[in-house]
Amino acid sequence: MAEIGNKPPNTSSRRAALRAGMAMVSLPLLNIAARAQSARPVTKVLDFQTTADVLKAEAEGEVVFYTHDGDGAAAAVVDAFNNDFPKIKANYVRAQNGALYSKLLAERSAGRFNVDVIQFSEIGTAIDFQKRGGYERHVSPEIGAFPTKYLSPTPGDYFWMGVTFGGIAYNTNLVKPEDAPKTWKDLLDPRWRNAMSTKQATSGMQFVEWYELRRLYGPDYWKQFAKQRPRGFDSRVPMFDRLSKGDDKVCAIAEYAGYLLYHQKGAPVAFVTPDDGLPATPVVAGAVSRAPHPEASLLFIDWMMSTRGQALYQNNLQLAYNSFRTDAPPMPDGKRLSDFKLLIPTDMADYLASHDIFNKEWNAMMGL
Amino acid sequence: MPRLSSRPRAVLWGQYALGGGVALLAAAFVLYPVYFLLQAAFDVGDPDVRPPSAYGWDNFAALPDYSKILFNTLGVAFAATIMALVFGFLTAWILNRTDVPYRRTLEQAMAVPYYVTPLLGAFAWSLLGSPESGFINQIWRGLGGSDALIDITSPFGIAWVMALFEGAVAFVMIGAVMKSMDPSLEEASQVIGGGRWRTMLRITLPLVAPGVLGAAIYVFAEMLGSFSAALVLGTPARFYVLTTAIYQLVSQYPPRMSLAAAMGVSLFAVMFAMMYFYRRLMARGSYVTVSGKAFRPRVMQVGRLRWVLFGICVSYVVLAVVLPILTLFYASVQKLAVAFPRLSDLTFEHYREAMSMNAVRSAMGNSLLLGVSAATIGVLVTFLLAWIIHRSKMPGRGVLEYVVMFPQAVPRLVFAFGMMWAWLVFPLPIYGTLWLLLIAYVTVFLPLGVRTISGVMVQLDKSLDECGQVCGASWAYRMRTITMPLLRPGLLAAWLLLFIASVRELGASILLMGPQSKVLTPSIVEAWFASGSELTAAMALIQTAVIGLAMAVFTILTRRASQHKG
Amino acid sequence: MTDLPETPVIEVKDLRISYGSVATVGPVSFTVRAGQQLTLLGPSGCGKTTTLRAIAGLEQPSAGLIRIAGQTMYSSDQGINIPAEQRGLSMVFQSYAIWPHMTVFENVAYGLRVRRKSASEIREKVHAALDLVQMGGYAERSASQLSGGQQQRVALARACAFSPTVVLFDEPLSNLDAKLRGDMRIELRELQHRLGVTSVYVTHDLEEALAMSDQVIVMRGGHIEQTGKPGEIYNLPRTEFVADFVGSANLIRGKLRADLGGDGMIALQTESGEIVYGMEYGRAPGPEAVFSVRTVHLQVSATRPPGERNVWPVTIRRVVFLGDLTQLHVIWGGRELVVRRSALDGVAEGQQAFLTVDPRHCVLLE
Repeated sequence: MAEIGNKPPNTSSRRAALRAGMAMVSLPLLNIAARAQSARPVTKVLDFQTTADVLKAEAEGEVVFYTHDGDGAAAAVVDAFNNDFPKIKANYVRAQNGALYSKLLAERSAGRFNVDVIQFSEIGTAIDFQKRGGYERHVSPEIGAFPTKYLSPTPGDYFWMGVTFGGIAYNTNLVKPEDAPKTWKDLLDPRWRNAMSTKQATSGMQFVEWYELRRLYGPDYWKQFAKQRPRGFDSRVPMFDRLSKGDDKVCAIAEYAGYLLYHQKGAPVAFVTPDDGLPATPVVAGAVSRAPHPEASLLFIDWMMSTRGQALYQNNLQLAYNSFRTDAPPMPDGKRLSDFKLLIPTDMADYLASHDIFNKEWNAMMGL
Repeated sequence: MPRLSSRPRAVLWGQYALGGGVALLAAAFVLYPVYFLLQAAFDVGDPDVRPPSAYGWDNFAALPDYSKILFNTLGVAFAATIMALVFGFLTAWILNRTDVPYRRTLEQAMAVPYYVTPLLGAFAWSLLGSPESGFINQIWRGLGGSDALIDITSPFGIAWVMALFEGAVAFVMIGAVMKSMDPSLEEASQVIGGGRWRTMLRITLPLVAPGVLGAAIYVFAEMLGSFSAALVLGTPARFYVLTTAIYQLVSQYPPRMSLAAAMGVSLFAVMFAMMYFYRRLMARGSYVTVSGKAFRPRVMQVGRLRWVLFGICVSYVVLAVVLPILTLFYASVQKLAVAFPRLSDLTFEHYREAMSMNAVRSAMGNSLLLGVSAATIGVLVTFLLAWIIHRSKMPGRGVLEYVVMFPQAVPRLVFAFGMMWAWLVFPLPIYGTLWLLLIAYVTVFLPLGVRTISGVMVQLDKSLDECGQVCGASWAYRMRTITMPLLRPGLLAAWLLLFIASVRELGASILLMGPQSKVLTPSIVEAWFASGSELTAAMALIQTAVIGLAMAVFTILTRRASQHKG
Repeated sequence: MTDLPETPVIEVKDLRISYGSVATVGPVSFTVRAGQQLTLLGPSGCGKTTTLRAIAGLEQPSAGLIRIAGQTMYSSDQGINIPAEQRGLSMVFQSYAIWPHMTVFENVAYGLRVRRKSASEIREKVHAALDLVQMGGYAERSASQLSGGQQQRVALARACAFSPTVVLFDEPLSNLDAKLRGDMRIELRELQHRLGVTSVYVTHDLEEALAMSDQVIVMRGGHIEQTGKPGEIYNLPRTEFVADFVGSANLIRGKLRADLGGDGMIALQTESGEIVYGMEYGRAPGPEAVFSVRTVHLQVSATRPPGERNVWPVTIRRVVFLGDLTQLHVIWGGRELVVRRSALDGVAEGQQAFLTVDPRHCVLLE
């Protein structure tokens, strides 16, 4: 119910909820340091540690990064890497999470291995990929800065690059504050029919929102929601674009990072934090097995996990993902993760199993 | 004295080997993806298992669940065809049968919308006609109107954009029909005493009707396979047609390949049937002409209506070219595009950002490279194919013509779907590279190339080649000294057509692009869906300008090179 | 210029050509001796062009034999089919087939270049050929700028430039106007004599065939109707078709009166009772027979001419003035005959007159 700007009072309970939400998988308490790779020396490059052979990586000359992020965000990442390592040319391919995974699997099943590092926008995809042996196990020297719950069960496959969460946003020119939706249930009000935007079924974030709200309010919630005939999009940028111009009145899955970006541009948008919580999803990155540029891929992962990489992801407005590093500073607007009540799936088995239902329901809602 | 040859048949074998080789290769490129498409459509087993474990009709049985999509597809295609025909007929009539001024210039201007990709048009019209943020609607509200004047995201709006950009072919085809009508047929009516209207109704209209009907069928088939407008305007508005549905199904995780393939095959079947009717209709012999010469039709005096009609023709160019480009520019220089921006909101930051994006530069470079390669290889291949079909006595050339024209009946996206499937498993590592795109372009544009070159080849007098033969020249010598030089203007025109078609291609490229092989039009689409419309507008304009420059350069070069010496 | 060897330069035996299952030509057989011109004459669709093209190698026969200068060019028995570019012939096409993207010089030089002659030889021969057709000054002109007649000459020069022994002509004069045609006919004939070429000539124009040929073959429906010298074809047609096609003729049918005639002369009695005397010219008449009588051989006079065998009264139905000739339609025994004379012998329409014809001009058809 609170608009952004008021400090939410009950920090400790939120922290508890956060921790509970984060502890989704049973994590073996391993001594990470003892699992140091055999015969891989740790070197310091720039301001972080890496076990990649930088010279060999430079000889490889290239690194291919698959990501779910929008073009602007992905470009920011590869550009930053290119700046740090001019001899290694970083390229990206972006597609919405589902499309990205689809493409990746199709390629691999045909024996094409073109990817070095991959980033997904929801945890289920990463787990599935791990089951298929898609990740290259690499325990980065930077791994110590991450609490184990933000790593893959066997550390080194993938890690939580950052987290993003979403609430409700509306156009302040078209919607008066008193009429604006304050809770998730308010979105079911018929006045928002044909005036809302959401993501397509290929979005990882959307899957999380669907799962969590279904858990909270029952499957009937989404059946009612379908009557609102929302419009579906591929990324948060066009959603906020349309919201700012008034093509939509309300955005039903407004990522906070997107809101910040557009708010800074002076767009007439406002953000709502429903009391029941904000669905959140970690973005998960990892080195891919059978990578075409193995050394460069390890270097890239180490870079991503380092303070530099994490700072980029926090501070760049196109990315704006909260970092999980224990030594991470607050977000540019001063907020910390602990300031928000986040909804993250805990029952992994149930979560993964419901993906098919989600696909069917969501596609049907989207007119497909 | 005649040269003795103990193996006279050896001469023919050389020809046959080359020709046969090219023909077989072309047939393979065309049929290989179709085979995989059919295989995927009938696959009812585990989708991850290849080759399919079970075959059946189940995928097709699921189609009625998507009847809304089928209905949308037919509805939009129908509306777009009607609009395109009306406009095409009107402008063809005005430019061929009346004395409106500057007819030659106008006729050339009518070709320009073809160079503006339908995608750009869809973007621009989205900026113009979105119910809330569209410029036209903002102006309308500013003038005191309520709600929205037009909604470009409605089915009618989508049909409008389709007709505007993809309907230029209707104008060309109907114009060709009018040009091929012998004026003496009308003169005979007038001499006996039939007035202008009677002549038009009883003589002209019935004579052009079959040609117009043929154009209608052809245009309808093209509209069925249309992709750009529905993608940009329809998808956000939850309006799917078969092509965009296929794209969506293929892009998800898990991808619904079998369903997509079944949809693709259905679309393909309908288009195939339409093309079949079209060929039957045309082959029955035109009612209008025998010789294939172009006549100069009789021109009607229109007096005061002259400038009105001129305006109608000009308005087409304005709506299809001028307005979209201006709109895109207008949007690209604003922070957030509105109809009445404040001066402080004007900026060039989007251009700066666009130019710095590697995707823009590499996509442009790739597209230019691909365009030149596809055009060059395409012209060589289609020249040989046209030769085999029209000028050789090789057995099976009728079948070859059929096979080569095949891709015309398959929507590009569906064909690319088959290609994706087909080339994934091919032992050569070309998937995801520019090579795959090159093969895709050459294959998909075979009908275009063969049609263009056949047109000039059949006009070439056979006796010119036969005389060379009797003079003792071998096939290769004759090809080099007689056939190629005489066909040069046609070959260069085909080159230019193939270049332009490659650069503006969307449906096939969007499925076959890889990280190292980004190309122009799909990358603009990606930007649209992943970035703000202002940035996309800037990207689109930059790319259009560069490609437009390349096109202009090539047009000048080819025109100069196609003038005979002497 | 008479040529010495008696062996034919061109031999065609039992040639058959079909399009699909339709037999278009054949079987036809003929020979052409050195230095002679054989003309294939007939209406359109009779197969004359197809036959010519088969000799050139541009059409594929289905059976038969073609030999040129002693070499077998085509033989269905032996499975030989030498392609056109290796037969060493020359051909002038109906549409001239002048290559518009080359100069006149290049057009004529083509055949020499193919034969890899030296530059000086090419220059010499091309200029010689162009002089032969009076186009000497046009060598550097672009071929696309020539008139029809000029193109025709260049086509001729091209055909002769590499001194072939055999030249084939496919209706080369049919696209020219009448006056030019007449002049070119003579020039062509002289050219052939001067060069000593053997030629096969195709035309549907009677005058051309008669004026230029040493031998004429009349074709119809893919078959040969009659072969012979021009005079023979004209004066002694064998069939109704030839009679009617080569010059204009009246065909008179009747029953044989074996009791009348003798010594090569025979008499026929028409349906309406007239007796006509004519010559059998070595042909065997049946009980019913036909005479062919050329229109120019019939005479009409106002008074009955004395001492004639064939004299009948006729009524003049119509007089048509044709310039050099006047055509009369006369009613004779209930049917109409056509007469062509160079002058009106004082007869007018509606008048009664007398028709006579020399029995030698009444030719018995086979």
